Amino acid sequence: MKTLLATMLMIVSLFASAPLLAQDNPLRVGMSGQYFPFTFVEQDQLKGFDVDIMNALAKEMGREIKYETANFSGLFGMLESGRIDTVANQITITEERQKAYIFSDPYVYDGAQVVVKKGNTEIQGVEDLKGKTVAVNLGSNFEDLLRELPYADEIDIKTYDSNLERDTALGRVDAFVMDRVSASQIIKEKPLPLALAGPTFSQITNAYPFRDTEAGRALRDEVNQALATLRDNGTLASISEKWFGTDITQP
Amino acid sequence: MDVLNVDYMLGLVPVLLRYLPLTLQLAGIGMALALILACLFAVVRVLRIPVLNQLTILFISFFRGTPLLVQLFLFYYGLPQLVSALTVIDGITATIMGLTMHFSAYMAESIRAAIVGVDRSQTEAALSIGMTNGQLMRRIVLPQATRVALPTLMNYFIDMIKATSLAFTLGVTELMGATQKEASGSFLYFEAFIVAAIIYWIVVELLSKVQHYLEIRLNKAYSR
Repeated sequence: MKTLLATMLMIVSLFASAPLLAQDNPLRVGMSGQYFPFTFVEQDQLKGFDVDIMNALAKEMGREIKYETANFSGLFGMLESGRIDTVANQITITEERQKAYIFSDPYVYDGAQVVVKKGNTEIQGVEDLKGKTVAVNLGSNFEDLLRELPYADEIDIKTYDSNLERDTALGRVDAFVMDRVSASQIIKEKPLPLALAGPTFSQITNAYPFRDTEAGRALRDEVNQALATLRDNGTLASISEKWFGTDITQP
Repeated sequence: MDVLNVDYMLGLVPVLLRYLPLTLQLAGIGMALALILACLFAVVRVLRIPVLNQLTILFISFFRGTPLLVQLFLFYYGLPQLVSALTVIDGITATIMGLTMHFSAYMAESIRAAIVGVDRSQTEAALSIGMTNGQLMRRIVLPQATRVALPTLMNYFIDMIKATSLAFTLGVTELMGATQKEASGSFLYFEAFIVAAIIYWIVVELLSKVQHYLEIRLNKAYSR
């Protein structure tokens, strides 16, 4: 027993805990790091449209920023339990979420889009999803959009934490639903045989959710002010141009 | 997508290796704590200490009977809802708590089996020369039980290393989390996950070497 414990403790002591950098009140922002091109990782570098916008906002507000990455389905839980201050992950404003959180002003205007494997001509839009298997991100607004369709019970909805684009390209599901700009960008830049199917079927607006507390409201006002400044001086538009080639920050 | 992107894979190795210490840290601390807890449980069960015995049975039943992921979510997302001060439990702590409790429940049973497996005649002999229960456990039973339990415990440790890959669900970017994020940026899934798989594999192989060495050491006393 002693030998075993000693060995284990030796192994443990090899990895002394990394010291936690004490920062005075940084803005803690949650994102999945798995939603190209809004938030993703290349060579350990967190990148994306949401990262750039958040960095610009933080600079405008004069605040330090600390990114916390977790699976999308865990982000709202982290916001709820006060581990992060807001979520920057192309969060769509929905009635459901408005009951629980307060939102900043919108910073992205976009639409929901059906995406299929290249060459699939059977699906030309959302009404063709009847009887099909469709992938969505777990806990995302697109999941709700599908479930609200009058023929929702005829769609086999599969929820994913990530990698739904791959599964669609592999033909494991017939389609996935995502926002239009991300989908277009993936099709343009990544080696996956996918195609947009039909027009967008629901307008979505993205904003930052905050807890409905005094501190949350104060933070929201601070963010709104910074957003307005960045909108006026063209920063939002130029970041959008960089990632999407168009300005998605205007209605 | 017909050819493996080897350059990308090679570039990924140093990036992912940065997250290996955290993976090993989670499993290492989890294992050390789980061992202590499991030994206590096993002794309580073997000596049938009243009240504690019943509590231990309940604990083991719960932590063996529910998925690790459910337990992790309970600690991390569930508890702060009841007591808001419990948000001090960060992802790393919650992961270690989950691993410790989950695996100690399993390990307690295999340690108990190893203890019970030590021949009764030895226990009687020890008690007849006036050893206390504690001395009996420390000097006679546990050293022999360790030898029997070692392969199983090592298996649990290997399992635990792989179970750390669930930590990303709690916002802890360890080896698997880092791999997932890299893959979703590049869409080169096969390349990213095969690199991660090879890293895990090498670590487990090294541990098997350690196990082999420990077995030889522990068997010294018994070789004829």
